[in-house]
Amino acid sequence: MNMERIIFLLLFGSTAIWFAWRVFMTKSMIRSALSLLASMVAIGILFLVMQAEFLGVLHIMMMATEMTIMAIFMMMFMMDPGGMGDMDMSHQKKYSSVFAFLSGASYAAAILFTQWPITADAVPAPAQQNHDLGIELMQRSMMIFETAGVSILVAMIAATATALSFNSVNK
Amino acid sequence: MWILLIGLYLFSVYFLSVLERRMVYKKWNFAAPFSTLAFLLVQEDVKPHQRDRIFYETAPVLFIAAALMAVGVLPFAKGFIITGLSTGALFINAAFAYIMVAIVMAGWAPNGVYSMIGGWRFLAQLIAYSMPIVMAITATVMRAESMSLVNIVASQTHLWNIIYQPVGFVLFYVAAMALAFLPPFDLPLAPGELAEGVWAEFTGVKLLLFRLGRLMLILSLSLAVTVLFLGGWEGPLLPGFAWTFIKTILVAASFFLCGQYVPRVQHDDLLEWSWKLLTPLALFNILWVGILLLL
Repeated sequence: MNMERIIFLLLFGSTAIWFAWRVFMTKSMIRSALSLLASMVAIGILFLVMQAEFLGVLHIMMMATEMTIMAIFMMMFMMDPGGMGDMDMSHQKKYSSVFAFLSGASYAAAILFTQWPITADAVPAPAQQNHDLGIELMQRSMMIFETAGVSILVAMIAATATALSFNSVNK
Repeated sequence: MWILLIGLYLFSVYFLSVLERRMVYKKWNFAAPFSTLAFLLVQEDVKPHQRDRIFYETAPVLFIAAALMAVGVLPFAKGFIITGLSTGALFINAAFAYIMVAIVMAGWAPNGVYSMIGGWRFLAQLIAYSMPIVMAITATVMRAESMSLVNIVASQTHLWNIIYQPVGFVLFYVAAMALAFLPPFDLPLAPGELAEGVWAEFTGVKLLLFRLGRLMLILSLSLAVTVLFLGGWEGPLLPGFAWTFIKTILVAASFFLCGQYVPRVQHDDLLEWSWKLLTPLALFNILWVGILLLL
């Protein structure tokens, strides 16, 4: 791995962590959601730095709509979405910080003590990666992805159906 | 080469703004873009009270950056491209998604009712209309067996996609107008109802960035229609980039023309059409192309 790539990995890795930190440090719900989006974009750029073009672009694309939808739901359900009323919406601070520290430490330990397989010497060209990914999705992993896709679709239809009021159904 | 390419993009944006003005005022005015530019550059920067400072400053920049990124991967001719990505067809979708993020930010930031309604409206509009866009692009990718935009043009040498998959073309065309919030889909701005909605509280350079970004967006979408469905730079006699330019300008002119004669669509109708009509049609289009490919 060359030097430039390591520098970019460190740069965008720390950007991701910084924005993840901002998610919890702001009182505005919209800022919080879009900070999470920025963090996710930084992770998408990490994919690009590691020459996984398709995964990176896909990650960056999906997160834009997901996080903005999350933003509108937080705005609808929170009492003080703009954070202008100076309302403290956090709770159980001690428990959550202890839990966060422990889980972070266990992730770090898992990363450090795992015997990672030797990384590939050469990365396939982006077009070849797209091809390989397609073959993988349509052969070995097809069952997993189809199951996940159908379950999400069912959940979406069920959620919409339960959200409809009786009056609108009976009309 | 680079200078030529950048010159071509700048000229296209200039010509689009002249064209849009011609369509609205029925009169050619070739100096208007320059006077508007000069005016917006020196206009006083009026800032709303209790705005979200970060979003207010970043939204216009993100808007134009997203539009520029989409333009950056679309080829004008073979070799006439800023970055030829092998996932280009996916990348333009990613760039268009950030148009929505920028508009939602711009709607939220000024702490105004009209802009916020405009911003959230556009969220619903883009999510509904990005489905037909993504699925129409998928069908062109299926035919080219590649996500590279250069290969997609190459796959249309014998038969343009507008004839091969007409349903996909109509879907992409309509959804592109909705994405660029051109009339009749100009719900986030809605002059007369929301009084310029999202942009109402922006002045000076920020408004200039929005307007330039909008022109870039129209350019990128009409270029995308050309590349994906109208055979890109294929054409007799003239050099490739000239054909792309002519087709792109014609597509943009047809966008403006549609907007003049069709009344603004109501918000709930707009969403209903997309989810209940366009999305199933887009799935049908994928099936159609799949059958044609297997025959």
